[in-house]
Amino acid sequence: MTEPSHGSDLDALLRRVARRDADAFAALYDHTRSRVYGLVMRVLRDAGYSEETTQEIYLEVWRTAHAYDSAKGSALSWLLTMAHRRAVDRVRSEQAAGQRESRYGAASVERPGDLVADSAIAADERRRVAACLDSLTDVQRQCIELAYYGGLTYSEVSQRLAANLSTIKSRMRDALRGLRGCLGVS
Amino acid sequence: MTEPTEFDLLELATPYALNAISDTERAALDRRLAAASRPIADRFDDEVRAVRETMAIVSAATSAEPPAQLRDAVLAAVQSEKPSQLRLRTALLAAAAAIIVGLAAFGIGIALRPPPTPTMTEQIMAAPDKRTVAGQLAGGTATVVFSRNINAGLVEMSHVPPPTQGTVYQMWLIDDKGPQSAGTMDAAGVTPSAVHLLRNLGKSSVLAFTVEPGKGSVQPTGTIITKLPLS
Repeated sequence: MTEPSHGSDLDALLRRVARRDADAFAALYDHTRSRVYGLVMRVLRDAGYSEETTQEIYLEVWRTAHAYDSAKGSALSWLLTMAHRRAVDRVRSEQAAGQRESRYGAASVERPGDLVADSAIAADERRRVAACLDSLTDVQRQCIELAYYGGLTYSEVSQRLAANLSTIKSRMRDALRGLRGCLGVS
Repeated sequence: MTEPTEFDLLELATPYALNAISDTERAALDRRLAAASRPIADRFDDEVRAVRETMAIVSAATSAEPPAQLRDAVLAAVQSEKPSQLRLRTALLAAAAAIIVGLAAFGIGIALRPPPTPTMTEQIMAAPDKRTVAGQLAGGTATVVFSRNINAGLVEMSHVPPPTQGTVYQMWLIDDKGPQSAGTMDAAGVTPSAVHLLRNLGKSSVLAFTVEPGKGSVQPTGTIITKLPLS
């Protein structure tokens, strides 16, 4: 859906990966690596961890591609949901090890400057997404940043922002509705 | 009211879809969902799906190229998962060979009649050393399947926009002596059904693409827009 031209391709590739097609797996990696790695890097903010985690994610793709059901969503969202979950799990285990505040506490808005954006994702798509993120209110965007990119649970977000739980849940829901509308997701 | 209502359940769809809940909460939510009424469970699932599709699009904003060596590591990790499959294939081939030998012994020689000469495409696709490399090209994808043994490859374009009027995409096989033209593609050449044959890979290590004026150039004049390593 994000790239209508690519969506069905990824579906087909993923079905081939489910049949243990290594060539399809390589192609799937090439089609999706920058989105996956970029998201993981955004959450983990450490190149070494991000590479390890990305490798784990693709191994999981290889092992579980047969479980992908296109009726339940696009291949890209299946993959990125898995990737995000892995990255968040990693952040939380670092937190459990007591390292998180120093590494991840900032959960800041800025993307690390040394990352090279993937030229394959059209600049106009990036601009469109950036514009939609900008169209959110500051408090909505902050919720998404802390939860989605920072790996905090909604209750941790509520503590961090000293706002009650239902406020945080509403902000998250409104933020996503805003993004959906802006991006035209049905 | 002490029991959570189904309405609270729906309120949690967004945090659930964003992975913004703890593992404990997720497990509890999954249990409640399993017990929830069908319309509520469906609404929850719809919300989760919409959030995930939305965030899949949003991933364009954070995209970043991983280091090149990660590709090798990822592909190698998967290869190491395959031995049982390879053993199975070997076993099947051995079984098939045994059957052919058996048929021959019974005089059914027709089974062994040499097949028609396979096309170059078939030879490449069947080559044991076949490799696939894909890269982004003008917003679409160029995929090369090649075999060093056969010294040839196939190029397929997927969702690559046609070159602008009066230009072509030109492919170059690059070895240590420099680039050699490997053919051009006009608007028809980037359609999904178009497959381009690379006839002589030689010692080339890279397939590069440029945009060239007219019907192409003897040497690349445009900047290289995509490079695919043939290794």
